[in-house]
Amino acid sequence: MIVAMRLARLLVPLLLVAASLNAATSFPPMVYEHRVLENGLDVYTIQDRSTPTVAIHVWYRVGSKDDPEGRSGFAHLFEHIMFKSTKNMPAEMLDRLTEDVGGWNNATTLADATAYFEVVPSHYLETLLWAEAERMGSLNVDEASFASERDVVKEEFRFRVLAPPYGRLFYAIERDSWDVHPYRRPGIGSIEDLEAATVEDVKAFHAAFYRPDNAILVVSGDFDQEQADGWIDRYFGPLSNPEGEIPRIDAPEPVREQEKRLVEYAPNVTLPAIALTWHTPVPASDDALALQIAATILGGGDSSRLQQRLVRGEIAQDVYVSPDDRREGGLFIVFAILASERRPEEAEAAIREELAALASKAIPAGELAKAKNLILTRALRERETSNGKAYLLGESLILGRDAAFVNQSLSRIQAITGADVQRALTKYVTEGKPVVITYLDEKQRNAEAGDTE
Amino acid sequence: MRRLFTIVPAALLSFCLFAQEQTTPPAPAEPREARLPKPVEKTLPNGLRVIVVPRHETPLVAARLMVKAGGAADTKALPGLAYMTAAVLTKGTSSRSAEEIALGVEALGATLEAGAGWDSSTVDVSVMASNLAPAMAFVADVVRNATFTESELDRERQLALDELQVVLGQPRSLGSLVMARLTFGDAPYGHNLAGTPESLAAITNDALKKFHGTHYRPEKSVLVFAGDVKPEAAFSLAEKLFGSWKRGPRQPAEAVRAASKSPAPRIVVVDLPEAGQASVLIGRQGIRRTDSSYMPAMVANSVLGGGYSSRLNQEIRIRRGLSYGAGSSYEPRLSIGPFVARTDTKNESAAEVAELIVGEIRRLSKETVEGNELAARKAVLIGEFGQSLETTTGIVNRVSALALYALPLAEINRYVSGVQSVKAEQVRDFARLSLDTDRMNLVIVGDSKAFIEPLKKRFENVEVIPIDDLDLATPTLRTRLQKE
Repeated sequence: MIVAMRLARLLVPLLLVAASLNAATSFPPMVYEHRVLENGLDVYTIQDRSTPTVAIHVWYRVGSKDDPEGRSGFAHLFEHIMFKSTKNMPAEMLDRLTEDVGGWNNATTLADATAYFEVVPSHYLETLLWAEAERMGSLNVDEASFASERDVVKEEFRFRVLAPPYGRLFYAIERDSWDVHPYRRPGIGSIEDLEAATVEDVKAFHAAFYRPDNAILVVSGDFDQEQADGWIDRYFGPLSNPEGEIPRIDAPEPVREQEKRLVEYAPNVTLPAIALTWHTPVPASDDALALQIAATILGGGDSSRLQQRLVRGEIAQDVYVSPDDRREGGLFIVFAILASERRPEEAEAAIREELAALASKAIPAGELAKAKNLILTRALRERETSNGKAYLLGESLILGRDAAFVNQSLSRIQAITGADVQRALTKYVTEGKPVVITYLDEKQRNAEAGDTE
Repeated sequence: MRRLFTIVPAALLSFCLFAQEQTTPPAPAEPREARLPKPVEKTLPNGLRVIVVPRHETPLVAARLMVKAGGAADTKALPGLAYMTAAVLTKGTSSRSAEEIALGVEALGATLEAGAGWDSSTVDVSVMASNLAPAMAFVADVVRNATFTESELDRERQLALDELQVVLGQPRSLGSLVMARLTFGDAPYGHNLAGTPESLAAITNDALKKFHGTHYRPEKSVLVFAGDVKPEAAFSLAEKLFGSWKRGPRQPAEAVRAASKSPAPRIVVVDLPEAGQASVLIGRQGIRRTDSSYMPAMVANSVLGGGYSSRLNQEIRIRRGLSYGAGSSYEPRLSIGPFVARTDTKNESAAEVAELIVGEIRRLSKETVEGNELAARKAVLIGEFGQSLETTTGIVNRVSALALYALPLAEINRYVSGVQSVKAEQVRDFARLSLDTDRMNLVIVGDSKAFIEPLKKRFENVEVIPIDDLDLATPTLRTRLQKE
């Protein structure tokens, strides 16, 4: 059973294999219109009248990296509060305007952004534009609803981090992969920091970040262009920005000089795991695209190098290679869940050997083409729905790419050579200094402590 | 707090004379007609049914070869047989090794996945339209010529055993397995689809070959295409790749399997010390896909636990902050499938949420659902249906499910009216007949010391099974005592 809900994609992206684009013969470009309202709201519209649904996205340029000090998890908690009341909307009215008419809503808090989505039958477009403008303009919050929603988020913490066997590993990957940049604070937060958050924090956060000049509106799907533009002007046009600058983080992460090794223990870990992470360049760079190809060669599909070496080779139960793109530079993550009776050191050695081989030996043309084809087909799937297109566009802008990237990335990836992939992999991964996290069952901590006595 | 300005840009003044703040949601416009897929079909001389749903916006095709036998056809001694047959299917044919298959498929940018459900086994491919023919050649090869070698079985067996260990360490997945056993006892659907440590160890490649030889046959299969392909092209591809696929030996028609008798309901706590959350499930046998109560059941579930604003999530998450999500589902199958309501909560709240779930299920048979709520919950079902048809894989899922349960493909055009026609009294009557909480099982997997006392105050006959004594292979769920 799947329960639909406001899911923060805080940890999920770490599990996904890299995806971007590769050129083939006929890839339909995404056609969009762009304009900026006088108040600074960035507006994109993508028309597709084939199905009578429309997706409305509002992406705010504020994410977990902007959590106040001592309040990790706050941006995400705030995202939940945005479904409570506004000046003209009672709590949960957003659900009445979406779910009750056959649509849905959701929201997600990323490191660099918070995004709110609705998909509705297209004749409700005006209603939802009004609703999104409402909560951009005002947010009411009382102690009771705040406390109750904070409890929901604490349950979300337990659901994502404490209950699943590898939840604490993903948490550690976020927490331990940066030394200085606020990306080091896990977006889901901690029970203590969530407890410390107040209604006053919520008000201050809305005032600081939820303003038209800090947002991107994407409307994608079935609409009449002139009519949609008129509604956007009518409901978002009157919103104003407060005085003062939008607070921005300035805490560049230094290059890591030393490899960092950690051991994380958790209960009910039946199979140990190992994770290695390296810093990656900004997502708009060619090197970031080259690393996506590298990740696909290493971990995309059963024929990939690490699947063959570790899973077919019976060292690991599964292995994932997953770039976690972030606006100011993200992570290249490799992690493996061990096969029974195997040790983390064996997996680490095999992973490092395969990385070194990819960096040093020329990549066969067929293997490079295969990776590009996998990336392309995945891109087609991402664009099947209006919501998928809106997501790609919003994400692209948030990651510091431009809107045109969603179309250009195709030819850019096509132009990347095997030597480019090797150069990027060498620079950031094989010559970079990783964080290495070994993940073991709690019982092994006690065993090791016992040994030292 | 900032306020909305009431000034409207000059350009709008012409048609917005009384510019003022809009304090209520603007009314919707006229709805546009939904677009439904138009399946076309043909049956090959060997009995293979081929269904095509063209959709040309994106140059992508999803295809599925579905065999009408899954985990329910596992032999009693070998639960997991259908699952392992599917797992090894793509790992070698008479002309290609496992590596060659993976490499060949992925070079096309395609994904190829074989898997087993309860009533069917499937081989799915998703591929850009220009590579459809070569990708389908791999589907045909694995379905028709899989070799099931010892070494590939051994490798998949080890993977399945390892995965099982991970599954058994999480409250959620463990809860599902315990509930299935309580709901169906020793009958099919009661075991783990992916097998048990004992059955996985006992499965031989001869057993896989026998399952494959019996069930993977054209007259028991359906091939579905959705996406950027013309029907004639898909039919001729099917003819070329599957036309010479031989029917199986004649077998007596299988009797429709009688529903298993519901075992007596139980309340079972599986004690998993240090569990990060407790998983709480309440369930019983539900309905068949072809039952006349299918639509009332879907609507009843949508009210109770389908979607964000359903009653369970309202009470448990939205009103009380006790969980990240609560819901329920029917899984109608060829025979009677399960009904389950569930949530996950901190260990301390487990007894409280169990009581809340029971209360909400009971309310459904006591009170008639009020008109606005009913309309909203129907809209959820209709919306989900429409959105599932927006992707090629979504269309394949819907169409192949109709084919599996031998329902006319035209049902796809009747779904919306079917949901609309359900009356509040039907929902209540269905709940009275089928959702009697006294006949339901309750399962909680979690750190029992945190909730056992309050649970015993609320429910009688609570059984506690420590994780080390749990045996999913038997309906008692307890490890048998060693015979001396």
